[in-house]
Amino acid sequence: MVYVIVVYDVQADRTPKFLNYLRQYLVHVQNSVFEGELTEGKTEEVEGRLESMLEDGESIMVYRMSSKKYVNRSVFGDDPMDDQQFL
Amino acid sequence: MNDNYHIFSDGRIERHNDTVRLVGLDDEKSYLPIENAEALFLHGQIDFNTRVMSFLDDHGVAMHVFGWKDYYAGSVMPERGQTSGRTVVEQVRAYDTPERRRALARKFIRGSIHNMRANVSYYDGRGHEFGDVIEQLDTQQERLEPELDVSELMGVEATARRAYYSVLDDVLPDGFVFGGRQYNPPDNEVNSLISFANSLVYANVVSAIRATALDPAVSFLHEPGDRRYSLALDIADMFKPVLADRVIFRVVNRSQVTLEEFETDLNGCLLTESGRKTVSKAFEETLNETVEHPRLNRKVSYQYLLRIEAYKLKKHLLTGEEYVPFERWW
Repeated sequence: MVYVIVVYDVQADRTPKFLNYLRQYLVHVQNSVFEGELTEGKTEEVEGRLESMLEDGESIMVYRMSSKKYVNRSVFGDDPMDDQQFL
Repeated sequence: MNDNYHIFSDGRIERHNDTVRLVGLDDEKSYLPIENAEALFLHGQIDFNTRVMSFLDDHGVAMHVFGWKDYYAGSVMPERGQTSGRTVVEQVRAYDTPERRRALARKFIRGSIHNMRANVSYYDGRGHEFGDVIEQLDTQQERLEPELDVSELMGVEATARRAYYSVLDDVLPDGFVFGGRQYNPPDNEVNSLISFANSLVYANVVSAIRATALDPAVSFLHEPGDRRYSLALDIADMFKPVLADRVIFRVVNRSQVTLEEFETDLNGCLLTESGRKTVSKAFEETLNETVEHPRLNRKVSYQYLLRIEAYKLKKHLLTGEEYVPFERWW
C-alpha cells in the first residue's frame, strides 16, 4: 500500500472530469487535492489514466509515500479524512 | 485497502459519476471511493435503487444491512465471482460423511477454545487470577475426542464458552455487569456489546466466504439451517475472542463506551447510535491491524485472516490437505 497525494491544475471547465475520476479512488480533501491509500497497482492505473486526460498547459502532481507510516500529517481546522469510513 | 464503510446516518446511496455517494437528509453529499471498498454496512435508514445495486455488484462490493436496533438483518451480496460446482460437491460430501464433518467441527472448536484461552491468559498475567478458568478450558480442549458426535461437540464448546465468559465480570470495569449470555434481545450493556460486535464479525466472515466458491449455508459444526449462513457461524466463533471481545474490552476499559451509551426499552438493552459508531470504529481499526504470518512470511491484516480461513477450508475440502484452524499465534 502506498499513500498518495494528487494535486491537479487544469482548465476551470475541465476540473469536474478530474474530480469525478479521482473520487473513485481517493478522498477529496480540498479543491483540486486528493489523498489516500492505494495499492501499487491502483496507483499505476490512476497515474496512467490521469496522464492521458491532460491537455496542453495542464499539470498534475502525484506525491507518493511508500507507506502511510511515512506521512507526518498535520491538519489545522476540519479534516476531511476524519471518519471517512463512518458516515 | 479493503475498506468497510459504515453508514449510520439516514439518507440515500446512489451511483454518481462512477462512484457511490451518500446523500444525507440535509442534502449533504459524501463520496465513497468505490475502488477501495470491500463492503457497505448500512446501520441507518437508507434508500437505494437498482442502479447503485448493479454498480456495487460490478465492483464486488457487498451490502450488509442492520435492521431495527441494529440487529444483523441480511446481506446483499455481489454476484458470485467464484463458482465451482466441484467445491460445493466436496463441501456437501464432507458434511455428509460423519467422520469428516466431526473432524471439521472439532477443529473449529479447537480454534475457538485456543483463542478464548489466549484472552484469559492475557488477563491472568495482568493482575487477575484466572488459573481455574484456564484449567477448565484445557479440560474441554482435552475432551475433543474423535468419537464425539456433533451435538456432544457443541456441548464441549458451550461449556468452554461459559467458563470463558465467567471472567468478564472481573475484567470489565465497575458498572458493567454481565451475569451470563443473553440475546434476543440482550438484557444488559455487556450482552448488547457482545451481540453487536459478534454481528460485525459475522458480516465480515460472510464477505470472506463470498471470496471463495464455498457455499455459506453448508456448515459443519452448526447445523445447516434455512435463511442463514451457518458456515459463517462456524468460522466466526474462532474469531470472536480475537476480534469482538478484544474490541469490547478496549472500548470499555478506556471509557470510550460508558453506561450512558445504552438505551433500555422493551426489556432489552441496546447501544445508542454513538455507541455503535465507537464500537464499529474500534472494530475497523482492529481489522486493519496486521500480524506477521509465519507461513506466508509477510504481514497480513486481521481482515485478511478471515479470508485465509475460508481459503484453507476450501483447500482442505478439495485436496484433503489437513485443515489447521485459526489459533492465535502471537
